Amino acid sequence: MTESGFDIAGLEAGHRPVSEFRYEKRPVVRGYNDRTLYVNVGDGRIAEKPVSADMRAKFTGGKGYGLRLLWDAVNPSTKWDDPENEINIAMGPVCGNTNYPGSGKSLVVSISPTTGIPIDCNVGGYFGPFLKFAGFDALEVQGKADRDVIVFIDGDDGVVSIFEAPGEAVDSHVLAEQMVAMFARDEKDRQHISSVSAGTGAEHALIGCLNFSFYDKRRKVARLKQAGRGGIGTVFRDKKIKALVVRYSGLDVSSNNPADLAGLQETGLKLHREIVTLDDQQCRMREIGTAHLTEIMDEYDLLPTRNYKFGSSPDSPGLNSHAFSAMVTHGLPDGCWYGCTMACAKAADGFELATGPYRGHKVTVDGPEYETVAGCGSNIGVYDPRVVMELNFYCDTYGLDTISFGTSTAFVMECWEKGVLDSTRTGGLEMTWGNGPAALELLHRIGRGEGFGLVAGLGVRGMKKYFAEHYGADPKLLQDIGCECKGLEYSQYVSKESLAQQGGYSMALKGPQHDEAWLIFMDMVNNRIPTFEDKAEALYYFPMFRTWFGLQGLCKLPWNDIEPADNSSTDEPAKVPEHVENYLAIYKAVTGNDLDRDGLIRQSARVYNFQKVFCIRMGKGRRIDDWPPYRMMGPVTVEEYESRADRYDKQLKEQVGIDPSGMGTPEKVAALRAYREDRYEKLLDAVYKRKGWNREGVPTVETLHDLGIDYPEVLEVVKPLLV
Amino acid sequence: MPSVKRLASDSSKCIGCGACMTACSTLFFKVDDPARSCISVTPSDSGSKITVCDQTCRLCVAECPVQALTVSSQGVVMLDRKLCVGCLACVAVCPIAAMRHYPGSANPFKCIACGACARKCPTGAIGIVVEERS
Amino acid sequence: MITVNGSPHPWREGMTVRDVLEERRFTFPLLVVRIDGRLVPRGDYAEAQVPDGSDVDVMHLMSGG
Repeated sequence: MTESGFDIAGLEAGHRPVSEFRYEKRPVVRGYNDRTLYVNVGDGRIAEKPVSADMRAKFTGGKGYGLRLLWDAVNPSTKWDDPENEINIAMGPVCGNTNYPGSGKSLVVSISPTTGIPIDCNVGGYFGPFLKFAGFDALEVQGKADRDVIVFIDGDDGVVSIFEAPGEAVDSHVLAEQMVAMFARDEKDRQHISSVSAGTGAEHALIGCLNFSFYDKRRKVARLKQAGRGGIGTVFRDKKIKALVVRYSGLDVSSNNPADLAGLQETGLKLHREIVTLDDQQCRMREIGTAHLTEIMDEYDLLPTRNYKFGSSPDSPGLNSHAFSAMVTHGLPDGCWYGCTMACAKAADGFELATGPYRGHKVTVDGPEYETVAGCGSNIGVYDPRVVMELNFYCDTYGLDTISFGTSTAFVMECWEKGVLDSTRTGGLEMTWGNGPAALELLHRIGRGEGFGLVAGLGVRGMKKYFAEHYGADPKLLQDIGCECKGLEYSQYVSKESLAQQGGYSMALKGPQHDEAWLIFMDMVNNRIPTFEDKAEALYYFPMFRTWFGLQGLCKLPWNDIEPADNSSTDEPAKVPEHVENYLAIYKAVTGNDLDRDGLIRQSARVYNFQKVFCIRMGKGRRIDDWPPYRMMGPVTVEEYESRADRYDKQLKEQVGIDPSGMGTPEKVAALRAYREDRYEKLLDAVYKRKGWNREGVPTVETLHDLGIDYPEVLEVVKPLLV
Repeated sequence: MPSVKRLASDSSKCIGCGACMTACSTLFFKVDDPARSCISVTPSDSGSKITVCDQTCRLCVAECPVQALTVSSQGVVMLDRKLCVGCLACVAVCPIAAMRHYPGSANPFKCIACGACARKCPTGAIGIVVEERS
Repeated sequence: MITVNGSPHPWREGMTVRDVLEERRFTFPLLVVRIDGRLVPRGDYAEAQVPDGSDVDVMHLMSGG
């Protein structure tokens, strides 16, 4: 046994080499390696591939590279568990610099088990930057292994190896520690090791996530950030990968070799200072991260409660930021990459687990972030922060997405309430609102691959089908209350009163995640984008702008979770103009290339439209796929209508032009629904037009030509749909 | 009780000659350049303003993600450049701008209370002190 | 009567920006407040008077995930 408590020698004795590849180490040049790494865990092939000039010019990096490689790897009939499906991890030119907060993101893409189309995740941790400095702009993992394997990329020595690893743990909080203990040469080296792993839950559910580790020198813990959405962890375990591990020990300001280090430092220091001086009066990200939002969302009726029926609850104070602030350790530099003074990666230390296979263990729990508080808290009626913390821990270590688990469990609970489920169908679990122990036990059953856990692990779309087929449940009701679109579970905001956000969610290419657009305040509270054209413009600009973070390896949070002191006096405060200028400046400082605002949007628009065509190629991405469940658009039930009766009656009267007095509630529900669904159709028309797509949501040849992505294989997909 | 070794200053004695900055930048960077001196003397309404790390607030030590900044046995905040990744978070959190940075260089720098500047000060405005702290 | 983000809101003597924010329960920290187009600095909310009939625009910026 070693100091770590693991029998590393015993684990290593079980390893069997599969293949090894040596490569020439070369320095990064202005943010780029111009080569990618291909690893096939099925047949053991490992190779480096050059990045063509065209790929670099059109796809920029990060998600662009990941999608380009994935397109070439799969065909229109590829399913998520086919060997040709890939997990691609790509970084982007700005990724890995240590000067500008939020510069350590990896972009992960794969064909999703729950949507069947490309999914993309933006994740922190050290893996991506270390992989880049090991010599590669992207890692492409293809094939399916017969036995559990680990892939190790030694960026110090220039060696990539695949070996069978039968003995290592699967659950991430153990495995990530084992990887550090196994590959670090000494105590100092621990910070130079990062792994990607999933967990036992990802073996049994379609909603698996990946954990990217970052070693915390003060806590002496390998901490975890999640590539959560769309089931990439499930693909990972289906490929029988236990871990991808990278070592890079040479990190300094020259690792990314920027064209203008002084310029990069100047811009970085400006933002560091802004965060240090203003954050405590603004979003308190340094104190509690995104969990600061819980009480705000509750106040604005946007915090999902009981499967998005309502937007607030009298019990919400139990989950407010102060409850979690009291549980996390303060005063530590909690960046998920170096140089992030926003430091929102909060963690509770010495948290004693009350349930499950690790009951009684004292562990470090990363989070919770807002999404987890809402998904594993209010949305399932749980208001005990310790239960949320425990759900958070187990979701992570089992390799399950907290958002999809939360939204799926909320759906299960509403199906229980509506009589679709009972204890014979759930294996004895009383899935009532707020039953924390039942939610935890459901999670453990997913982890063990047992009984109803297997059903819940299908995610909302899979459960809708299952409940209709096996329990004779009404498919229309399930469609109305099952909060998924394209097969992906919704993230945690109530979009009922914001048409723009309904579009932001349901038109998001990968499925309803809010990373493309979060327009609720702009639309619903500020009343700033009243017309369809206004909304369409916002649904053009923000998705394009925000796509850019994923091309560069950047985090979105330092863009608008902190704002300059004089932001209020600018023309467009919601865009945070000074920060946009910062991004143009750091892009230039790293790559040496000029970029203006239009050029930024254009970089994004190329990849965005390419991804759109990719979705169509894989069988989704048409108008019909952009239709939300009605729960996300308005009150489905009499109960929901009556909970906000004044609001809805007023809307009927003032907006729809119907006098609600004398109408029964079901009639009013139907009238409001007809109005809202019609408005959503009009929104689709306006947004498609603004994006250069036809009425069916297909990019036109002109749009693709204008963006320079009218490749023959792209046109081949859209042409039959444009006649 | 831990002690703190630091450079103490008395700006009322300072004549703003800059000898301290010359001594410091020459010693550490082999150039005579106030921008590369750990101690900074600037004109102020009352004569001179002397800015140098007082070794006690240690916000930079807490902020450093790689623990490149540590407190020595003598109570001096020291930077290990081999560990530093150049993020400059320490520069941003320093409340008195005594953690310094020269544009384009890999690492920040700060006063380590070596006393080289004090030996060149013609008026005794600066000097090394060792204080016991509770 | 005043207008807040396009909808009517009752006015009273001595009303300040902070009063308006409290009455509308605008608790989000990243706000940009303008009275008849004139920016009110964040530090001045407690003192800034809202005249009767004025058009108050409380722009919420964005944050989060």
